[in-house]
Amino acid sequence: MGRKKIKKTSEYIMTQKRIRAVFIIFAVLTVLLCLRLANIQIVDSDYYTELAINQQTKDDLIEANRGSILDRNGKELAVSATSYNLYVDVNTLRKNIKSSEDEMYYDKLVNKLSKILKMKKSTIKKTIDNNPTGVVLAKGLSKAQKNKVRKIKENSITFSESKKRYYPNGNFASQLLGSVTEDNNGRSGLELEYDQYLSGLPGRWIKNTDNNGSELDSGTKEYYAAENGSNLVLTIDEVIQHYVENAIKKAMKTTESDKIMAIAMNPETAEVLAMAATPGFDPNNATKPSDEKEYNKFKKMSNKKQLDYLYKMWRNPLVNDTYEPGSTFKLITSSSSLESGVVNTTESFYCSNHIQVGGYTLHCAENKRHGDQLLRDAVANSCNTVHVQLALRLGAERFYDFISAYGFTSITGIDYPGEVSAQIQDEENLSKVSLATMGFGQGIAVTPIQLITAVCAIGNDGVIMQPRLVKALQDEDGNIIKEFKPKKLRRVISEETASEMCKIMAYEVQTGTGRKAAVAGYRVGGKTGTADQISSDGSYGKRQCTSFMCMAPMDDPKFALLVICDNPKEGSFGSTTAVPIAKEILENSLKYLEIEPVFSSNEKKENEDLNTKVPNITGKDLKKAKSMIEKKDLKYIVTGDKDKVVDQYPKAGTKVAKDSTVIIYTE
Amino acid sequence: MKIKKPKLKLNIGKTGDFALIVTVILLSLFGIAMVFSASYYKALNDFDNASYFAIRQCFWVAAGYVLMYIFSKANYHVWKKFSKVIYIVVVILLALIFTPLGVSQNGATRWLLVPGTGFTIMPGEFAKFALIVCGATFLSVKKDRIRDLKDGLIPYFLLAIVLVALIWEQPNKSTALIVLATAVGIAFVAGLKKIYLILAAGGVALGLVIIALKGGYAASRIAAWLHPENDIQGEGWQVAQGLYALGSGGLFGRGIGNSVQKTLYMPEPQNDFILTIIGEEIGLIGLMVLLLVFLFLIYRGFMIAANAEDQLGTLLASGITGLIAIQLVLNVCVVTALIPNTGVMLPFISYGGNGTMVLLALMGILVNISKHQKENRLQE
Repeated sequence: MGRKKIKKTSEYIMTQKRIRAVFIIFAVLTVLLCLRLANIQIVDSDYYTELAINQQTKDDLIEANRGSILDRNGKELAVSATSYNLYVDVNTLRKNIKSSEDEMYYDKLVNKLSKILKMKKSTIKKTIDNNPTGVVLAKGLSKAQKNKVRKIKENSITFSESKKRYYPNGNFASQLLGSVTEDNNGRSGLELEYDQYLSGLPGRWIKNTDNNGSELDSGTKEYYAAENGSNLVLTIDEVIQHYVENAIKKAMKTTESDKIMAIAMNPETAEVLAMAATPGFDPNNATKPSDEKEYNKFKKMSNKKQLDYLYKMWRNPLVNDTYEPGSTFKLITSSSSLESGVVNTTESFYCSNHIQVGGYTLHCAENKRHGDQLLRDAVANSCNTVHVQLALRLGAERFYDFISAYGFTSITGIDYPGEVSAQIQDEENLSKVSLATMGFGQGIAVTPIQLITAVCAIGNDGVIMQPRLVKALQDEDGNIIKEFKPKKLRRVISEETASEMCKIMAYEVQTGTGRKAAVAGYRVGGKTGTADQISSDGSYGKRQCTSFMCMAPMDDPKFALLVICDNPKEGSFGSTTAVPIAKEILENSLKYLEIEPVFSSNEKKENEDLNTKVPNITGKDLKKAKSMIEKKDLKYIVTGDKDKVVDQYPKAGTKVAKDSTVIIYTE
Repeated sequence: MKIKKPKLKLNIGKTGDFALIVTVILLSLFGIAMVFSASYYKALNDFDNASYFAIRQCFWVAAGYVLMYIFSKANYHVWKKFSKVIYIVVVILLALIFTPLGVSQNGATRWLLVPGTGFTIMPGEFAKFALIVCGATFLSVKKDRIRDLKDGLIPYFLLAIVLVALIWEQPNKSTALIVLATAVGIAFVAGLKKIYLILAAGGVALGLVIIALKGGYAASRIAAWLHPENDIQGEGWQVAQGLYALGSGGLFGRGIGNSVQKTLYMPEPQNDFILTIIGEEIGLIGLMVLLLVFLFLIYRGFMIAANAEDQLGTLLASGITGLIAIQLVLNVCVVTALIPNTGVMLPFISYGGNGTMVLLALMGILVNISKHQKENRLQE
């Protein structure tokens, strides 16, 4: 023991103290770190968990099947077909290229893809090379294309399904049906109006994925199936729509009109049976005109002009545009006058070809002098002077009440987007001459749907109905979910007035301007119209609309039709332009609707010579069927694009007039 | 003068510290399990082999056990004889990195290709070994050598600075700092005057400021540390992903094997950030147990140091234990975004051949020191 020992001992104690100090420092640090961990894992846990879940979960949308659009008999007018999108996982592709011994691996692959996808090789390469991870290379592929690509056995290529809207009849009822956007949202027409029913509810597939987006086996998985959209059952009858479209398309050539449009309606229910306007478009390719010449013009337009063009093309002028109805409006004037008692059927008028009103002289068309006439003659002759008198007798207030009751002061409420209402002069400041001209349908602009709905009230015992395009909603299995029943709006005129007006309309077709619309075996009634339209510069006289409003059979009207020719160059009267079109449609449709004809003895004899039997073409191939029909002096329309006939109208053995049309269904 | 009795006591037989051995083995086996759990998804994705990393880690741990056994049998005084040779060899190896033998990865050259084998070694890991052996030897030759400025402090730190500088230049700043910190730790236990400690602390603070102002690699890491969420696609990605992993683990974790962050979100889930994946799978409770086990290991290490039979044993054991403690603390600090993201492995757990084997070898030396305990050096 001594100094040395003490020194050694104290050094040793200091060492021990320092070791203890170091340990305590680390122990304290460890405790602090535990606190830090607790802060992250408990206090901030929710915050970080949310961030983690956000990056770890992928929320995939499952497209709902868009409901089909069917005609009233279940014929498909618009359907959803499955198409495929091709996705290239560029990372994997690069690995495959690297690990392949074939130096041309990439070029060969691009070669094959370019053939199947009908894309340029340079486009494919550019698309792949510009995307570091992955890219959708092609959209809307068919199943056949998909299967061909699958055969290449390139594991970096995957497919996803998507739904594509398909309109089997192409340019058919196109403004009415409308079209969908690339995302399958309704863009125009019924597709837009009923979008919420058609589109259904998309499903979701929430799953955990790794950082490359591959699905993990573990972790949360939630699958919500998509709720498919409902089918739309239209009031439209595909067959009648065909008759109408064919008739107006043909007439475009013969009348050289700017546009021809037509609506067919059942007066008892105000269900629209057909609605068409030229030129239409192919809803499968809605963003360009289907006509080649028009397309070349279209291509050269600026973006804004193209857009304006498309909106115009998609418009349905029967609901979205107004026109001056002209003499067809006399039905409104005369029925209102009869109903209010300012005129009766036996009163005699004298027409001296003009009438003085408020300092103006108003003439009859072509300055014709109609002489002595009853009300029915005034309608049949389309006499302006008589209708001027009727309007003046009614006076603005009463006349406007009827105009309002006939539904011209508001939209009809038809289930179609963008409906407009009539343009009517203000009742307060109405001059006498304005009231007078309104009496024969000038100085008032209405929509075609308003006019036919109003006239249908005459055919429906005086009760105006709500016009409709959709009969029912169906689920995907065809069960009716919701039915839209015919809806009475109000009584406009009495039954007696209505039946009197029906007689007058029939008289018009027998003796008046609508003579050419007469169909053997049916009492057709109608009223022609020719009206100057306001041009874009605000002046009258350069542009005319000729029209024909008719119904049949007039004892109990089942079919109403309005045909309007916009600016016809061949023939400038309703009687020479719109009436022949109407006759063709009436003839076909009345027979198709199986409305029993009542022939006079003369007609019967004529029929025997002219009739022929429809051959049985169902099951035959298309070529054979066409020649069989031609042999029988009949015409045909082909629906669908397949080669085998699956159905026909009329059925085999039906007696029809020569030159009438047989519809061939191939799908 | 009254003599205080030392309070730290350890009674260990000739077999060495059994508790220490068991703890080390448990930790390294747990490490293999977690390397497998953390890496299998990435391994499948990159190598089509789920156990790619785990198999290698198994091999290195096994080799480490062999080293640990051998080193526990070799009397630790043998390192005194070899210390100069070891130091020179390590310096040469560190210098070789700057020759074409060096292997670069991510802009840093930290590996040496062993010619003809295809194996790479990490001289930086050997430098930790060399520092502990040489530093302890140098300071235990004479009593209170560290208190002597010319003969002790300056040459001791020169010896350390050579290693630190060579590693710093790779660049591998984290390893350089760990070596430097270990050197300071050994010096402290050996009796470093407190005034130098205070000076050193001031120096460290000054250094950090300079790095931050100078910009470049280290500065961008510091910026990423301050705001990991701002730069999630760049430097901050790893740190942010680590926080997501820890945070979504919560108190009890998702369960072993159920981490989602390891599915390629965490770029190298088996490496430095493995603790975050562990935290995601076993939660805060699990991590606290793990840290307690580490703390127990550190406690045993310092007990062995305090009761070593001589100053060489004390300083060796302190250096070894200090190294583990420093790496542990730095690693946890990094993954919890307390300090900038430097590459620090979690001892015994993180994937890595050189690091694991060097640590297990050092554990062998510690076990040997524990066999040579003096009840009370006062009796000498």
